[in-house]
Amino acid sequence: MSFSNVSSDLIWEITRNQNSFLVKAKDCAGGVQFSRDPYNLTNQHSRTHAGFVNDKALSIVANEKGGVKVTSKKAGASNKPASGVSTVTFGNTTARKTYKNVARLAAKNHYRPDLRAAAVSRASAIRASQRTPKADPEKKLRGNAAKKAASA
Amino acid sequence: MASRPTVTIIGADGKATGATEVLPKVFGAPIRPDIVQHVHTGMAKNKRQPYSVSEKAGHQTSAESWGTGRAVARIPRVSGGGTHRAGQAAFGNMCRSGRMFAPTKIWRKWHIKINQGQKRFATASALAASAVTPLLMARGHQVATVPEVPLVVDSASFSGAAYAKTAAALALLQAVGAGADVEKAKQSKKLRAGKGKMRGRRHRQRRGPLVVYSPAVDGKELVKGFRNIPGVETSPVDALNLLQLAPGGHLGRFIVWTSAAIKELDSVYDSKQGFALPSNVVSQSDLTRLINSSEIQTVLNGPKGEARTKRGHVQKKNPLKNKQIMLRQNPYASTFAKEHLGEVKANNGKPTPLSAAFKELHKEI
Repeated sequence: MSFSNVSSDLIWEITRNQNSFLVKAKDCAGGVQFSRDPYNLTNQHSRTHAGFVNDKALSIVANEKGGVKVTSKKAGASNKPASGVSTVTFGNTTARKTYKNVARLAAKNHYRPDLRAAAVSRASAIRASQRTPKADPEKKLRGNAAKKAASA
Repeated sequence: MASRPTVTIIGADGKATGATEVLPKVFGAPIRPDIVQHVHTGMAKNKRQPYSVSEKAGHQTSAESWGTGRAVARIPRVSGGGTHRAGQAAFGNMCRSGRMFAPTKIWRKWHIKINQGQKRFATASALAASAVTPLLMARGHQVATVPEVPLVVDSASFSGAAYAKTAAALALLQAVGAGADVEKAKQSKKLRAGKGKMRGRRHRQRRGPLVVYSPAVDGKELVKGFRNIPGVETSPVDALNLLQLAPGGHLGRFIVWTSAAIKELDSVYDSKQGFALPSNVVSQSDLTRLINSSEIQTVLNGPKGEARTKRGHVQKKNPLKNKQIMLRQNPYASTFAKEHLGEVKANNGKPTPLSAAFKELHKEI
């Protein structure tokens, strides 16, 4: 933050009730609140996971050519949106390597060790979504149709 | 604040010119959403025009009550005959063609006076918030491509009415990274829900960047260039308006400054007589830094207890297998073991048989 009148805590207090990322469910699931913030790993509206208020935050999204793209904020560069982030892509290597790299990025140099598990599970979910689903097994005939097929 | 932060001046091509400007003092003002919202609510009401229903509406009939004894309600009824209207109830708010309840009057209190000091506080607060990237994002501005916040564009490129044409103005916004926000505002135009459509408020759309300029240095031609870009507004630096700085009362409008405007901002605030920029109540608002500061840490008590706590009564141990637990529960166990009391044969509880002499004697009696 460039001025000492601003801090992540203050920004959170200003924006926690209303911000452009906040998605409020009206009456379902006890009025659960989600976040569309790209720097939110779990999409939950909470101080820990709200990436846009924090100086350090991770964004994990699917890479167009497979694998995951991890963007992290550079601490202390919040007033430079274009250059204040660094992006790494982990392509189609083994899943274990991806998870290891993501975990290392999250926890390395005490960046956000508390978000390590969330980062890995997000990367895992993205990788699972990129897998081509198994084709359904051929349907077995039952009842009369099976008898007919057997006699034919 | 030891040294005041500086901001890079961006050229018309979107690259840093190398020149920097010290940020005006107003950017250090406290960010107070409560004050901004309160002032905004008042200011937003000051553009209203009076409206009301006609004074005569619902009273243009010569109805009189029939009084009691006619087995109908005592409400005034239209007099005369020869038409269905005759004998129908009139005037009341519950009547068909009656007047409304509490008819609206043009002398409603439409406008709200706000103290000038409060207005200036709110404006200063909104300006300070416009330099905080997360607040811009929370308002919904697309600032991912912006090189720096606050975004200051070199005034040299504004000389000679360079942006009097919309095409040039749009090209400038795109070059300095504000294109995404303009595009968002443009795509957001939607038909308004409800009756407002027929009352001159047909569409609603997002607000884009606000261009703040210095009329003396940059000229006023740029207003014409920017005014037809959807969502984009312009404002001279000496006439900043809270309705533009915090639309909807939400802090963090994306502002594109000209370098002349940001240079002038300090003198704009100096010239406001009797108004000192509000100061912050706390000099450090970062909670983590406060908690971890040596001033706090030195006066805190150390953690109570040991680093590892005993599990105490959590785990149940078997006294028959664990001698210490047995001793704790049964202190006699040690004597019992030492004297081998467990091995001593207890008497079997049978009485000694009666002697033969006794039996004889008993028989005789």
